[in-house]
Amino acid sequence: MDPSIYVPIGAGLAVGLAAIGTGLAQGRIGSAGAGVIAEKPDMIGVMILLLAIPETMVILGFAVAAIILFL
Amino acid sequence: MKLEMSRLQVIGLKSQLMPVVRQLHLLGCMQIEDVSEMESISARPLSLAKETIQLREETTYLVTKVEGLVSTLTGVLSSSEQQEMDGRLERSSEEECMDAARAGVELLAPRVQALMSKREKLEAEQISLPRYEITLRKLLPIVPESAHDPDNVFVGVLVSRAHIWVLDGVSEALLKMTAGRAEMVGEDIDESTRAMFVVVPKEFSDELEALLGREDITRLRLPEEIADQPPDSAVLALSQRLAEIPSELAEIRKGLGSLADEWLPRLKWWRICLRDGLDEIDVLTQFGETEQTFVVAGWVPRVDIPKVQAALSAAAGEGVVAELVSLTSQEQKSAPVMLNNPAISRPFQSLVKMFSLPRYEGIDPTMLMAFFLPLFFGMILGDVGYGSLLLLLGLLGLRRFSQPGTVRDVIKVLIMGSAWSIVFGFVYGELFGTLGEELGMHPLWFDRASADEVTSLLILSIAVGVIHITLGLVLGVWEAIREKSRHNLLERGGMLVGLIGLFMIVSVAVDWLPDGFMNPAAVIMMIGIVLLSVPLGWLGVLLGPIEFIGLIGNILSYLRIAAVGLASVYMAKLANEVMGMMGSVVVGIIIAVLIHALNLVLGAFSPTIHSLRLHYVEFFRKFYEGGGQPFEPFQSRQSTMLGGAG
Repeated sequence: MDPSIYVPIGAGLAVGLAAIGTGLAQGRIGSAGAGVIAEKPDMIGVMILLLAIPETMVILGFAVAAIILFL
Repeated sequence: MKLEMSRLQVIGLKSQLMPVVRQLHLLGCMQIEDVSEMESISARPLSLAKETIQLREETTYLVTKVEGLVSTLTGVLSSSEQQEMDGRLERSSEEECMDAARAGVELLAPRVQALMSKREKLEAEQISLPRYEITLRKLLPIVPESAHDPDNVFVGVLVSRAHIWVLDGVSEALLKMTAGRAEMVGEDIDESTRAMFVVVPKEFSDELEALLGREDITRLRLPEEIADQPPDSAVLALSQRLAEIPSELAEIRKGLGSLADEWLPRLKWWRICLRDGLDEIDVLTQFGETEQTFVVAGWVPRVDIPKVQAALSAAAGEGVVAELVSLTSQEQKSAPVMLNNPAISRPFQSLVKMFSLPRYEGIDPTMLMAFFLPLFFGMILGDVGYGSLLLLLGLLGLRRFSQPGTVRDVIKVLIMGSAWSIVFGFVYGELFGTLGEELGMHPLWFDRASADEVTSLLILSIAVGVIHITLGLVLGVWEAIREKSRHNLLERGGMLVGLIGLFMIVSVAVDWLPDGFMNPAAVIMMIGIVLLSVPLGWLGVLLGPIEFIGLIGNILSYLRIAAVGLASVYMAKLANEVMGMMGSVVVGIIIAVLIHALNLVLGAFSPTIHSLRLHYVEFFRKFYEGGGQPFEPFQSRQSTMLGGAG
């Protein structure tokens, strides 16, 4: 089998698995955040910040995928 | 940019106290501080005169009454009537306000109360009468003829079916008591209740009552008006009553509506005046006094000081002195913050405040955000078609939401973002994705959708990240030097030096710099990491390198500019290709328009969130420490409204 077919699979896994991780983390942070904002609306800035932190994982996943595909 | 604040101290004769308070309230540009908490002022806290305390109590009472009336009368209006009523205010002079409110409340409260209690009673009847009606209708077929005889009395009783045996005992006792002249009939009302109808000669009515009382049996109690009527005429009366209730309720609703129409504009104005009056009394607790004078101090924007001084001397003449207080640097740091940026960057103030208000002496990042946020938005969306549509929608939105507020701010941010999006649309050669290319449009720089050029997009994103993060770190170092914070200086400076080393290593790797620079570059990076680790103590050995890797992660985070943008391009491409794949042109166009519409919504939302995140998480954390106290001037509601009206 042509080994190059593993390239797109690898790229897909890099983004996909990272996205699942990010999703799980954001789901938990988001539900807690919704509670916090309901009690203290002025905390919205901090909550966006906390919610945004796990996004780095999927961006790093994207970076890995881009390296696999294009470099 | 923030308004410069000064502390103003006003000293005056006690006879001028209320005119001064009034004037400060109307000016609305002084945040009054508690004099008793200031070491530089040695005056005792102002104690309120007996009349002032009485006035306060009466005003509080009136405010409560007026608020109650406003909420009752507003409650009877439909939402469209409420909206229409919102803009109406019947202003009267402020001196008359208290007397007018007192007289108005005395006149109006009993009328509203009478109508409301009548309405409550009718509504209660509307719920309870049908229940009586059901029970009575069940009893009707079994009512004996003797119940209509004026020499007899009758009574209905209700018994739970679980205790039905009680009825046997009661029947037996009744027959015995009346020597067989009592008549009793029973009927099941529902699954759990049995009703019994008892008719006895009038002379036994007392004994009947006593017996029922002794056995603890629930009587069927009808409303007073129909209690003595036999069931058939009672049912008739009930139906009649039920038919009358809606028209009576409508009458009351009309009465309350006309009261609302007449009184609400006045009541709302009184509420504003009275609350202002209360504020003017409450603020006195923050004043100080000596035998003859009073003193008040607070923060005033420096630009407003001449205005305040002039207004006070016009109101109280020579009986009052308003002077600036010299402050220690610590006191100056505690000044409240009021952002005042040029009109174009003002909408971004809300976004900065959403994160945290800057400290008085810290950097206000609004202007930087006003430049970078729309730029990032444009880089992500980068499409002439979507950009133009969003611009159009934004301009329409501005017409729709004419009142200043968060919505208008967000729309303005979106408009600036879409303008940049059009610019980057030309840069990438995109019009609704690949449609531009098919119409002969060429990218000014590179086509980000083509596989060969994706690398250029990735490099562009990283380059933007490097510039943004470096700018953040430079600002952070400057802030640390200004604050004389060794910890921050080492940490941010170390990051900056380490980053320079890293750039040099990368430059050598891509042959921008000769190979000989590799070793010095590595040394510079190491120096940066060591500097960064020093303020962290012994843990720095571990945490320093981790922080530096985090910094690289921050820069890589800007890849989202490429990633989110590419997702949008491919979705647009999909829409265009689906159009060609469908057998029918009409179906193809409909599906394509739907996908483009979805992409447009995502294209407005997603780039905003991601640009915002790049600011909050990556950029702000390099230099920005919020936590400023907002400037909350002592401001009368009347002057705010007049300002709003003007």
